[in-house]
Formats: sequence, structure tokens, C-alpha cells
Amino acid sequence: MPQARTRGPVDPRLLSRARATRVFLGAGVAAGTATAMLVVYQAWLLARSISSIVATGATEGLGATLVLLAGVLAGRAVLTWLTTWLAHRSAAAVKSQLRHDIMEATLASPGATPSASLVTLMTQGLDGLDGYFSKYLPQLVLAVTVPLIVGASILFSDWQAALIIAVTVPLIPLFMAMVGWTTEARVRRRYRYQTRLARHFADLVAGLPTLQVFGRAKAQAEGLRRTEEANRTETMATLRISFLSALVLELLSSLSVAIVALAIGTRLVYYGIDFRTALFVLILAPEVYLPIRQVGVHYHDSADGVAAAEAAFVEIDRGLPLVGEEHRDGGSVRLEGPLTVDNLTHSYGDVLALPPTSFTLAAGEVVALSGPSGGGKSTLLSALLGFLTPTSGSVTVGGFSQTRFSGREWRSRFAYVPQAPGLIAGTVADNVRLADATATDDEVRDVLAAAGAADLDLDHAVGDEAEGLSAGERRRVGIARALLRIRRGAHVLVLDEPTAGLDADAEATVVESVRSSGASAIVVSHRPAVLAAADRVIEVGVVA
Amino acid sequence: MRSGWQGLVADLVKTVPWGRLRLIAAITLAALASGASISLIGVSAWLISRASEHPVFTDLSVAAVGVRFFGISRGVFRYTERLVGHDLALRMQSALRLRTYTSLAKTTLLGRRHGDMLVRVVADVEAVQDVVVRVVLPFASAVVVMAGTTAMLARFSVGSALVLLGTAVLAGLVLPWWAQRASRAADNAAVPLRGELANQVRETALSAVDLVAYDADVAALARIDALDAELRAVERRATFVRAFASGAQVLAAGAAVIAALWIGGQAVVDGAIAPRLLAVLVLTPLALHEVLGGLAQAAQTLTRAQSALARVVDVLDAEPVGRGDAAVGDASSEPYVRVSDLAVGWPGFGAVASGISFDLVAGQSVAVVGPSGVGKTTLAATVLGLIPAVSGSVETQGRIGYLAQDAHLFATTVAENVRIGNKDATDEEVVGALAEAGLPLDPERVVGELGATLSGGEARRLALSRLLAGSYDVLVLDEPSEHLDAPTANALLDDLWASVGTRPLLVVTHDESVVARCDRVVRLG
Repeated sequence: MPQARTRGPVDPRLLSRARATRVFLGAGVAAGTATAMLVVYQAWLLARSISSIVATGATEGLGATLVLLAGVLAGRAVLTWLTTWLAHRSAAAVKSQLRHDIMEATLASPGATPSASLVTLMTQGLDGLDGYFSKYLPQLVLAVTVPLIVGASILFSDWQAALIIAVTVPLIPLFMAMVGWTTEARVRRRYRYQTRLARHFADLVAGLPTLQVFGRAKAQAEGLRRTEEANRTETMATLRISFLSALVLELLSSLSVAIVALAIGTRLVYYGIDFRTALFVLILAPEVYLPIRQVGVHYHDSADGVAAAEAAFVEIDRGLPLVGEEHRDGGSVRLEGPLTVDNLTHSYGDVLALPPTSFTLAAGEVVALSGPSGGGKSTLLSALLGFLTPTSGSVTVGGFSQTRFSGREWRSRFAYVPQAPGLIAGTVADNVRLADATATDDEVRDVLAAAGAADLDLDHAVGDEAEGLSAGERRRVGIARALLRIRRGAHVLVLDEPTAGLDADAEATVVESVRSSGASAIVVSHRPAVLAAADRVIEVGVVA
Repeated sequence: MRSGWQGLVADLVKTVPWGRLRLIAAITLAALASGASISLIGVSAWLISRASEHPVFTDLSVAAVGVRFFGISRGVFRYTERLVGHDLALRMQSALRLRTYTSLAKTTLLGRRHGDMLVRVVADVEAVQDVVVRVVLPFASAVVVMAGTTAMLARFSVGSALVLLGTAVLAGLVLPWWAQRASRAADNAAVPLRGELANQVRETALSAVDLVAYDADVAALARIDALDAELRAVERRATFVRAFASGAQVLAAGAAVIAALWIGGQAVVDGAIAPRLLAVLVLTPLALHEVLGGLAQAAQTLTRAQSALARVVDVLDAEPVGRGDAAVGDASSEPYVRVSDLAVGWPGFGAVASGISFDLVAGQSVAVVGPSGVGKTTLAATVLGLIPAVSGSVETQGRIGYLAQDAHLFATTVAENVRIGNKDATDEEVVGALAEAGLPLDPERVVGELGATLSGGEARRLALSRLLAGSYDVLVLDEPSEHLDAPTANALLDDLWASVGTRPLLVVTHDESVVARCDRVVRLG
């Protein structure tokens, strides 16, 4: 879990991680300052020309003023364009970097995050940063520069109006902070709630085939309706509170403008102020509050953006290396010799997932792992392959400990087939060629045949989530891939239930291929044919 | 009736209780909020101009009340509008989710692709919120405010009012429309790219172990980076247009102010209007244009939303395949399955197996065997009545329970998962079914996505326990011993056969030990 921290308007990790954020903030301050100065000049031009026409009843010099006004407005147009453009570039740069970092983290600790949450985060989640950069941050900058510059201009013209503004402006961030503090927890909860709802909905849709088999799919619509109802009620309750901040801002800012207008109106009647100054102040007064108000309007963009960034950082932190890279010096060592597992155990918290296990695998030996389901066989394989750091015990090859190698170096020795091999979209051949992109068609056909899938066409399309292949075919493609890797120099086959879903003939072919590959093999299986073919059977998960 | 996304949105408004009234209320409140903002400036300008003529103070009192009223009401109107608008949008979204789910539930999905369903249903359906809150409400209220402001100013200066209307239409309607058109190609290109990115992320996450084990992780990361770069380029094109439109809106506002000053100035000089109205004529356009600023982005939101909603409409309009929910059937004391000269296959794809005949009555068991991919699951789906037979006939009587090969485990408690098989199961029945399936788990334990916190064997047993929790007259098992270790599988099969009793049993399998327990064997392929 990320440490609790006081949240400023800009996540410091966004500043430190994404250089684009800093560049953008710098350019934004420059553009904001220029905008504020143009706003003041525009107000001065307008006040001067209106008061002059009213006082003299003539339009002398109006042409020149109009040209100047046109110039000022053109300048503001360019600044608007520039700010929008900069905002997008920064958001895009930050999003790209976070996307990359998140996926890198996902690959560093495979399987740690549900894919649905990851998809939501990588698409809609990070898009929350668009609003953060294109609306919230520019307004935040303007909310600092414009009130300062415009307020100073008012002060030089009429200190009494400036006093009203000076009193009311600080009230706005004060109230905003107060409302923000009280709503922050709820806004976060809402984000979590929505993520959960998205998962619930996706889960329901993914489970539709199962629900249909039990004749329950249509009935679930009622449950969905209730979930939706609950979500709407909860969301509206949150919105009622979080929109309060915007309400307070709008109220304060428009009331302040009204007070300024009434005050200068009264003083005008009694000759306390001249018309030109009064107009100048009236035109500028809303400009002081506008950017502050906009910050309130875009407060939710900020909350979405910060929540997205936080979710991203949780993923990124999760993917940090399991063991410090600095201890790894095994790059130059040739990984050869017997594989020894010595008293290896693993626990998730208090739950013992793998009781102490020891064995040695000699070159060319085929060992079957057996034992009750949930007994730790898959955990053992994960530890062997370096996907998790075992709680205690060691794995060595030829006397060299696993901890001396980077995951990539260590795994170069293994060819792994998980219980449900993950396939990439493409063709069967593409998937086999994960082991070696340069393998010829003949070779691919050859290893497929060895995996009992001689009948699978190389160009057979594999879709999303291995669509187009049966579970058995999927497994055989995984085995073919592993066999190809063995031919390319890996020494140890690691197979998790390789023949589940295969008929007896295909199973026999696979067993024979594992044998004839010459590699050592660790096979998790319950199938009698596989156990019979192994040199030894090791029981895992039976605490002695 | 309108078709496409407009039809869908209009239809959803009608679906929501008091939908039209809510919509009109939200538009009215939005227009009132913007109107209050403009009126505050207009009335203040008049107040100051009049005050500069040093009248008796009471001449200002009505204007002073107006200034206070508009100062307070803007925030209140805006707050109320937001709540009413968001409530309507959320109601419409819920209605659409339900409609999408119901539509999907009607079509048989067993064995069909549902990879991008998550993106489609979750993300596309959310577009309806954007349409209401960010498109319909801002535009509808902007049109009302434009008309109102123009009408007010026309009382003082028709020329100035017409120029204002022109620039307002330009900034509020033409520029957003242009921006939307100009960036539509880019926005449309972004939608499939997002889908592709989502697919790639899902694929990478689901096959992360394999990718890492085969050193293909770097390539996978590069693929995602490449997609991201494409998406970035597309978004950049859309932003260029939006940035240009925002700049042009500032210019339009400038034109309105300059024209007002010019026309109003001449009118004052000519004596056509009182001098005190000049400030009102000049400052009101500024306030109106401030309201129109966000509309360019609103139009762009529409582009994204409408292609998302168009895809939802496709899902809603698709012809259902098969019957969706299996007919579990009525309980029967004489259950049977009669299959004669049956050909099976997915609708529209021809037969994968044919000439299948067998009779199955109480006290019997039939094993269906055959090589992988020969249509065993298709046969099971046909027997369950999920899809129609290609030819031949299936007759059944009694409640049929089916154990699928790839049963989905829901991200909820173990007990809730068991109750998929029998929603009325008592806690004792749930515990009993779990025990019978050899899975003595805590019923309150929460199962992760795709059963992630269970091992392969445990997941299969949990799926099996659903069947044991319900009282089914006929059982269809698809590879019941798969993933279970031999002793447990044997014990389980013993228990299973014992609990089956005299119920007709159809087993799809290639496990010889299972086949050996059956009375008869039907070979496919």
C-alpha cells in the first residue's frame, strides 16, 4: 500500500517521474502571466474608450483603440491556443510514460494484477490525466498569476475595491481546502467503488456462458439492476458533497463581484470614484475570480487525474525487482549441471503454500511431481522459474545459486509450459515462434507434431484469449513452443499438467517427445500414463 | 423512430422515470445559471453607468437588488443543474448497461469470443453519460442563452445584437461543429486504437508468465509502446484542431466586443441610445462568450461518444444466436435423453459431428469420447438446448445439470459461486456440496478474478460443487476428472457416481477410468 500523505495540488511523484510535467508548468506560468497582463490592458482600453465616449459624446481616437484591442485579443487567442497545445503534449507524454512503466511492472511480476483492472487503468484510468493536464493544471497556474496581476492593477486604481477583493479571494482557497478535505475520502472511495463495479460488470459478462448453462443469465439482470441502483445512489450522494466545493466557489466569486459593483456604484453617486476607474474595476473584478472559479469547476478532473496517477504508482511499485539486482553477478557463468532444490518453502502471509521440498534433477532425467491439488506444485514451479522469491531454501544449478542471476539469465535454461499457456493473438506458428522467431516452417511443423498437434495448421488463427483453439490445442501449442526452446539450447523442460485435455494418442506422443528431447524435465501431472513414463515421482505438498 | 445513437439516447430518456422532465429541468437550470452570470455583468454595468450620472439613490435600488440576486443565484442554479444532469445521466447509463446485459444474455455465448466485451460494455456504455452531461446540456442551454441575450440587447441596439448573435453562433455552434468535423477522423481512429490497446494489455497480462519465460516480454512491451505512440499521434491531431478552435473562439469574442464598441459608440454619438447603455452593450458580449468557451471540447466529446454508442447499438441490434439461457427443465421422476440421428454444430457454421444416436434413461450412463475438437462440447450444448440441432432430434425430460469444461468462477464468495447451481441452497447445502466435491473451503472466502486465488484443481471442484448443490435429474459432465490428482479423482468419481444414483448420466471425456465407469460409449469422429 502507498504511504498516506498530504496531497498537494500536484502529485510530487508526477513531477519527479515525468519531466514533461515540469516543462509544462514552467511554460504555463509564462503563458498565464502574459494572459493576465493582456487582460488588464484590455480592460483599461475598454474603460478608457467607453468613459471617453460617454463623457464627450464623440468617438475621437476610437479607431486607434479598436486596433489596439484587436491586437490584444489576437494575443490572447494565440496564448489560448498555446496553452491547450502544451497541455495536451504534457498529458500525452506523462500517459505514455506511465503506460510503459505499468506494463513493465506487470511483466516484472506476472499475474499480480487482475487483467480487467489493468485494462481499465491503462485506458480510461490514465485518460483521467487528460483532464488533469488540459483543464486543472492550466487553471491552477492562472488562478495564481491572474489574481495577483489583476489584483495589483485594481489596487493601483482603487484601493477600496482592491480591499474587498483582497478579503474575499483568500476565502475561496480556504473554503475549497475545507470542502476538499471533507470530500477527499469520499471521492477516493467513489473511484474504488467504480472500479469494483466495472469489475463486477465485466465479471458478470465474462461469466455469461456459465450462467446460461445454469439458466441463470437473464435472472442476473435483476441483481445488476440493484447494483446499478446502489451505485447511482452512492455516486449521487458523493456528488452532492463534492459539487459543494464548486457551489461555494461560485457563490463567493459572484457575490464578491456583486459587492464590488454595488460598492463602486454607491461611491460613484457620491463622487467617491470616477467613471473610468469604476468601469476598469468592474471589468477586472470577475477576471480575478474567473480562474479561481475554474479551478473549482475542474476540481473533479484533478481528483480523477490524481486517483489515476496513484493507481498507476501502485502498479509500478508492485513491479519492483524481487531481489536487488546489485547482488547478481552470475552473468558470465555457464548454467550447467544438476538442478538441486534444497528445503524450498513458500508462504503467502501465514498460509504455507509450499511445504519444505528437496530434490535433485540430473541431466536428462524426467521427474514427475504429484500430490493433492493446492499442495504447492504450481508454487514450486513459480519459484523454480524465478516468478516469486521463496520464503526459504535454495535452488542451485551446478552449485550456482539462483539468487546470483537475473531472472532473464536464470530462465534461459528453462522451457516452461504453464497449466493454461498464454497465447498471443496471431497464428499458431507465431505462438510457437515465441521460442525462436527465426524457426523455419518445417521446424515449427516438426515441434507441433512432437507435441501431438500434427493436424494443427501453422496459419490457424489464434484470437484474443486463445480464441480459435480448444484447451487441449492451446496446451499442445505451448508444448511445441517449449520443445523448440529446448532445441535452441534450454536444458530443463518444466511442464504443468501438459496432457490435461489431450486424448490418449496425443498424450503418448507428448510423453515420447519429452523423453526423446534429451532435456531434463519436471512434469506436474496426475495422469497415470505420464507418471508411469517418469524416472521418479516426487510427492509435493505432503508434509512429512 | 430515429435509429443509431440519437435514437438510443432519446429512447433511454424515455426509459428513465420522468426522463423528459428531468432533461428539460436540467437544460432550464443550466440556461438560468449562465443567464445569471451574464445578467450580473449586464446589470452591474448599467448600475455603474447610471450611478455616474449621480441620480438619487433610490433610482438604483432595483438594479442593486438585481445585482445581489444574480450574484447569489448563479451558484445555486449551477449546483442544482449539475445534480439533476448527473442523476439523469447515471440513470440512463444504468438503463443502457441493463439493456446491453439483457441483450447479451439472450444469445448463446458458450465457446464464443468475449475478449473485448469488457471494453465495449464498460467503456462504451459510459459514453451515454458524456452525451448527456457534456454535450446535450451545454449545447441546449447555450442556444437558449444566446437567444435570450440577443433578444435583450436588441431592445437597445439591433445592430449590436445581431453582431453578437453572429459571433455567438460562430463561437458556440460553427466553431465547435467545425472542430468536431475536422478532428472526427482522428477521434474515430482513436476508438479502435483504444480497443486494440485494451486487447493488447489484456493479452500481455494474461500471458505475462509465458512472455517472460520466453524472453518475449520486451517485444510485448514494444508492441504496447508502439500502440501508445499511434494513439498519441491520433490524439495530437485532434488536439491541434481543438486548440485552434479555442483560439478562434477568443477572436470571435473579440470581434463581438469591438463591434459593440464601434456600433454602440456611433449610436451614442448619434443620440440613438442613452450613454449609460454603452457599457452594457460592450460588457455583455464578453460575459456571453465566456459561457461559450467550453463548447468546442463538448463537440469533440460527442465524436468519441457517438462511435462508442454506435457500437453499443450494434450489440443491442444483433440477432441472438441459440437461446441464451438453458432451459433447465421441470423436475421429472422419469428423466431421459433421447438423441436420434443428430448432427451438431454452431449455428451458421455447419455440422461438426453427425449421425449421433443414443437413448439415456434412469440408471444408465453414457460416455461420449472422441479426439479433441470433434464436437463433444457442441453436442453437450445441443443436448442442453443452448443451440439448435443442425438436423436430427434431441428429446429430454427432467432438469439437466451441466459441468462445463471452462466454468467461470465469479469474483465473489465461494458460497455465492456454489449458489450459481442452486440459488436457494441453504448454508448447510453449500457446505455439503463443497465437501462432496472435495473442497472443504470456507464458504465466505472471496475468490479473485477468474478464480485467481484458487489452484486449477480447486477451481474445477468449486465448479463441480455447483452441480452437487442443485437437484438435477440428468447430469451432463464435461471432463469431470480433469485437473484432479488420481486418488482424489477416483474418490470424487466414486462419490459422484454414488450421488448420481439412478439419474441418467452423460459424460464427455477421454479419461479411460471415467469411460470404464459408464455403461455405454458413444464415439464421435
